[in-house]
Amino acid sequence: MSPSRRNPARDQVAIVGLGRSAYGRDRLGCTPGSLVLDAAIAAARDAGVGAADIDGICGSTVAAGYVQAALGIARVSWFSNPPSVIGNQIVAAVAAVNSGMCETALVYHNAYRMPFASRSAGRDPMRRRAMLGLAETRSAWGTGHAESGANSMFGANAYAAWAGRYLHDYGYERDTLGLIAINSRTNAASNDNAVYREPLTMQDYLAGRMVRDPLSVYDMDIPVDAADAFIITTTERARYLAQTPVLVHAATLGHTDYGIEEQLVDLDHAGQVVVAERLWAKSELTLADVDVFYPYEGFSNIALSWFENVGYCGRGEGGAFVRQHWVEDEQRILIHGRIPVNTHGGSLSEGGTQGAGHLYEACLQLRGTAGIRQVPGASVALVTPGGYYFNSQGFVLRRGA
Amino acid sequence: MTNDELLDAFPGVRLDQDNAAYYRGLLDGELLINRCDDCATWHFPARSACPRCWSRSVTPTAVAGTGTIVLLTMLHQGSRKEGADYTVGHPLVAVELDEQPGLRLGGTVLGVDPRTVQLGERVRIVIRRLEGRGPRVDFERMP
Repeated sequence: MSPSRRNPARDQVAIVGLGRSAYGRDRLGCTPGSLVLDAAIAAARDAGVGAADIDGICGSTVAAGYVQAALGIARVSWFSNPPSVIGNQIVAAVAAVNSGMCETALVYHNAYRMPFASRSAGRDPMRRRAMLGLAETRSAWGTGHAESGANSMFGANAYAAWAGRYLHDYGYERDTLGLIAINSRTNAASNDNAVYREPLTMQDYLAGRMVRDPLSVYDMDIPVDAADAFIITTTERARYLAQTPVLVHAATLGHTDYGIEEQLVDLDHAGQVVVAERLWAKSELTLADVDVFYPYEGFSNIALSWFENVGYCGRGEGGAFVRQHWVEDEQRILIHGRIPVNTHGGSLSEGGTQGAGHLYEACLQLRGTAGIRQVPGASVALVTPGGYYFNSQGFVLRRGA
Repeated sequence: MTNDELLDAFPGVRLDQDNAAYYRGLLDGELLINRCDDCATWHFPARSACPRCWSRSVTPTAVAGTGTIVLLTMLHQGSRKEGADYTVGHPLVAVELDEQPGLRLGGTVLGVDPRTVQLGERVRIVIRRLEGRGPRVDFERMP
């Protein structure tokens, strides 16, 4: 079956409000709920909408009902809590708005430093208690893995193993991964929301503490307490709101039947392949129209694969492509000397919010309000959250009128 | 063995009716992988249908227990629950079993200098008992 080109939602739904909490590694007083409320209130105010205007709610781990009650949103006709990452919430809300299930949706995702992911969080008794009732690991998700720990090939462990396989199969060294980390850090220097902004040299990168070979501390996203929120409504309604709308031109999720880390036979069977195929089939814009690119890099090797899958280069050529488009004077990637990548610093330097930060930055750039890091004339963004197995997603966004 | 006894033997494992035979096998020192009674396709982890022909008739079946390392990482930090030693590095691998391309299990490699483990190496399974968590499958180099 060839990929469907049908896309009745094309340009019909817009992101009209942006809000976020501060991203932090030193904010023990916050809870997942308080972070989401920070972001949600900011997004609604940014859009110029109030509780009475919101009739749909869609979030990741914090229950929609919690947010509705906490913000006094009197009546909603649609709500949902799809699993992370951010694309799952966005596509659900786009579909709900486009189909008439609701008119204006509040969408959110938060990250919260868990005791096992952050030393400072691990020392806090309130954080240890917060783990109760939360999924300790993938084994609780029911996707098939029944065990967790040092001998289990999933999550971060499996991304490291796939990174090793990539370097081995295509003849790269770790410095290729380092370009992704340095690109993010360089861009983060102009983002005052980023948690790490000091320059990162290749020497620093190569000396980084090894965590899961070949991935060092610089190759894996930074645990933060943070939330991002988005107000989504019809493009028609967006005309009467405060901000320049960001139109969802094409959106897709991508999944194959190899949805478990070690069972993925090869990178040709990753969900990213499905995303690229479907996204370009549904889009009237092409890769040549893209002004800014946001490949998820929560593990650095994921970004190399996104370059390959969205069409910049072939399988195994991501590392060579990044090196070819590396601007030494600027210490960052500029594709064809023009298209910057992860202008906000990504999960590796702004902070790890599972793609929500990438989407937020893409919207800022398309509005033209990204401040000192604004890319002049940015009108089309390609945003690709997610990794290889069960959370690959893609968006073509365009600046609205 | 009752289900209660089986659950007690594997604290912390997400045991259910679909994978119980796998864990019962480990207690008996056997690695059992689900195989389709109709088209002979293997699958892992254990589910109640064949992913190739949708047959609901699948049988936990013993495998030869030999295979090839297809994924490898060396862990330098992580859980200490299973006795992993991170001073040199704890090798974690996925092994493709000889029964079928793509049929893979994860685990560590025992009895070797961790620094010498490589992609492509031939290994066989070891079922070992870990204090307080029940037996699990790991690997050792083929002699």
